Amino acid sequence: MRWLAHLIAGPTLWALVFSLVYGAHGWACAAQISPEGLGAAGRMMLVSLWVLGLIAFIPLLRIAPTGPHLRHKLPRAATWIGLGATVFTLFPVVAITSC
Amino acid sequence: MTDATTPTVAPERAAPVTLARNPSQRALGLHRELTRVWRNDRGLWGQITAVNHTTLGLRFMGTALIFFAIGGILSMLIRTQLATHEGAFLDTDLYNQIFTMHGSIMMFLFAIPMLEGLGIWLLPKLLGTRDMAFPRLTALGYWCYLFGGLIMLTALLFGVAPHDGWFMYTPLSDATHSPGINADVWLLGVTFVEISAVAAAVEITVTILRQRAPGMRLTEMPLFAWYMLGTSVMMLVGFPPLIAGSVLLELERAFGWPFFDPTRGGDPLLWQHLFWLFGHPEVYIIFLPAAGAMSMIIPVMCRTTILGYGAIVAAILALVFLSFGLWVHHMFTVGIPHMALAFFSAASVLVAVPTAVQVFAWIGTMWKGRPEMHLPMYHILGFFLTFVMGGLTGVMLAIVPFNWQAHDTAFVTAHLHYVLIGGFVFPMMAAATYWLPLISGKRRIKGLGEAAFWVILLGFHGTFFIMHLTGLLGMPRRIDVYPDNPEWVWLNLTSSIFSFVLTIGFAMFVLDLILQVTLGKRERRDPWRAPTLDWAMPIPSPSYNFASIPTPQHLGHTARNAVLSLARGEGALPGAPKGRRELLVTSVGDAQPHHVALLPGNTALPLGLSASIGVFVLLMLAGQYALAGLALVPVAMLIWVWARGMAPAGDLGRVLVAPDLRLPVHHRVHPSLGRTGLSAFLVANGTLFVSLMFGVAFLSVVTPASVPPVAGAQTLSSALGLGLIAIALALAAGVARTPTRGAVALTLGLNLVALLALLWLAFSQMDDPTRHARDALRAVVAGYVGLHILAAAAMAAFVLDQFRRGEIDAQTQGALSALQLWQGFTTAVALISVLVLGAQVVLS
Repeated sequence: MRWLAHLIAGPTLWALVFSLVYGAHGWACAAQISPEGLGAAGRMMLVSLWVLGLIAFIPLLRIAPTGPHLRHKLPRAATWIGLGATVFTLFPVVAITSC
Repeated sequence: MTDATTPTVAPERAAPVTLARNPSQRALGLHRELTRVWRNDRGLWGQITAVNHTTLGLRFMGTALIFFAIGGILSMLIRTQLATHEGAFLDTDLYNQIFTMHGSIMMFLFAIPMLEGLGIWLLPKLLGTRDMAFPRLTALGYWCYLFGGLIMLTALLFGVAPHDGWFMYTPLSDATHSPGINADVWLLGVTFVEISAVAAAVEITVTILRQRAPGMRLTEMPLFAWYMLGTSVMMLVGFPPLIAGSVLLELERAFGWPFFDPTRGGDPLLWQHLFWLFGHPEVYIIFLPAAGAMSMIIPVMCRTTILGYGAIVAAILALVFLSFGLWVHHMFTVGIPHMALAFFSAASVLVAVPTAVQVFAWIGTMWKGRPEMHLPMYHILGFFLTFVMGGLTGVMLAIVPFNWQAHDTAFVTAHLHYVLIGGFVFPMMAAATYWLPLISGKRRIKGLGEAAFWVILLGFHGTFFIMHLTGLLGMPRRIDVYPDNPEWVWLNLTSSIFSFVLTIGFAMFVLDLILQVTLGKRERRDPWRAPTLDWAMPIPSPSYNFASIPTPQHLGHTARNAVLSLARGEGALPGAPKGRRELLVTSVGDAQPHHVALLPGNTALPLGLSASIGVFVLLMLAGQYALAGLALVPVAMLIWVWARGMAPAGDLGRVLVAPDLRLPVHHRVHPSLGRTGLSAFLVANGTLFVSLMFGVAFLSVVTPASVPPVAGAQTLSSALGLGLIAIALALAAGVARTPTRGAVALTLGLNLVALLALLWLAFSQMDDPTRHARDALRAVVAGYVGLHILAAAAMAAFVLDQFRRGEIDAQTQGALSALQLWQGFTTAVALISVLVLGAQVVLS
């Protein structure tokens, strides 16, 4: 079971960060915290969540199993999948400010 | 045909599992002994009471094929109507019913049950076990599927079928815009069928994790099992949002609780979110098993091993997760914020990467092998051509500006048919032609199958390729006439003509299957010279699959080399010397032998239980809500009888598995299959709870301005009531961990206290649920928690009854373990509910 937990940890973290950022963005837009959209505060909040999510991958990568066999490689690859997905799917937080 | 040189398992097996070989026995004697124990009863009664995975898997697939034919006939009616611009073949309401039922049948009554059936039929054979983990659950799933499907079909015959499209978007499907029972048929019928999906997901998950042959590590199991594991987990997480949405919409239609009514604090977009939280993963739920079948078939057809086993497993993992981050791309045109569009557009593009990894791995496998053009290979190539085109139009639709142009046009209809027929139907046809010898024991008659393939390919692309153009020219989906657009006529007429060609092709395919089963010559064992365990048995496959369970020594062999040794009982747990249905349970990661599970025999209980649920559904449809509540009494009683059937009985001594190994039976071990199954069910249940919480959060953000509470959850008495519930349940969770009769009695008492407090809150402190969506959601959450407390109390009463009967002692836990798990879950959801609803009050 621990191996399975290692395997899904990275993608689960992506799902968590993705949900958090999407939820925070929805709240910020609905609350109209700034007349021009998200505004500086909203954007800072989303970027902070994104960066914190990326930082959370560091311990995951450090505890990922090491070794030559597939049972070692898979959890490692899965962590990188989660990290890559977090970078790619949430990068719009640095590029878009409008609601 | 030459031999495949190596097994599909990965090479670095550490093989810590060693089992001494059992003495060789007479194969025919073992066969007779096992058949006597595992076979179905004879006659019609035998059909009703069957719980065997081979019977039920085939029954699932056969029934799904019938529904596919019905859905196909409906599509013919649609194409006939659209062949001319002012088609008078169908009136608008009937046309609406037909296209709604076409989509609903193909998704819920064909695709999902077909993949469930394939998994149920194939997985035990592939993993080296004798049945699924919970045979009665398999049967219950089948009957729920059949009855739910029949309810929907009967509605069509009486002209009251759903007519709002298979998305059932609100407000079109609410009581105002869709009076009558049409929408209720969909909501209740589909939810009834979904019992089958959740049941299948639970047992597929448990079977893969706990019933692999000893020594078959997770990283070495056949790829189909990885695909099915991903699928079953997706079903556990994907279906609950739709169940939640369906329950909310039915409550709104039946009792006026306004979850989706913007005039009373609701929002129609909540339905879209809940629907597509299920709907998009659904596409991958359908695709993954088909991809799993291809990953089994391609290496055998190409006389080689799969290329990139590890990369494919990683791709499956990526797909399982990423597919839950795409749902909003179905909602790009509803006016959501730009940044959200960018998130989901990026995720929709990204998901193409793991899909491409698999496609390249399959192409690479063909490249390194020597492809032989047997009939399954034709359908594999049909898949490549069709699915890749569907995938590419999917990437086009992931791009927001294009999506805005093509949304709800025939382009989308074409895309989804390329993905679903390319990604599911072609692989399923490959699977049918590949595994039919194992089902029928017969050899196919050459010629007709190949002709059917070419007719299907021509008919499919003739119908749907041109439909992209129809969509780009602006034709919306789901219209029945287009008198002002003569430019669409020739395109639609062409699609209609080729759709009949497609139907002829499918009819030829089915005829080919029938001819093989009825007139085919006897096939030899393992005709494809495959390396996997599904072929290491006699054909047609016996009811018990393996006379003895494959051991690590057998996993290193090809199927052909392992079959005789297994038939002679040289593997583990040979025969059925005690006349019981026994199977070997192993550990999750390394597949170490753990214990022996004793499975139930043939029984009509699943039929009775599903029929009782069916009565409840029918009474709900008839609007007899009080009677429907009463109908739940026999459901509860039958569940009790079901649980009694799991009570320990007879010889509970250790079972001889191998000369050097005796293992305990499941009543005396922890964790048993039942505990793993309940854990899997709680994953689905937890997702249902999260879906409700999503509703609370969504409406709190979108419609924050609520009417002030009348009775009010802010009052001191409400706070005291909530506190009492929290304390009682927290104590119950702690007390339930003590395995004594007194502790269980106290657990029962604490649950009853919590239940009474909740009822008092509901009836004296909460506002009328019809007043505002927020009140309605609070009532639903209270109902959800209340049902769980009631179930916990019933489980505690059941455990007390087991104590009274002497079925629980120092070695045997009975249902105590299940009670502990359930009580912990109930306490957790109750505490979270109190916190979330409390925070909602404080923040508003």
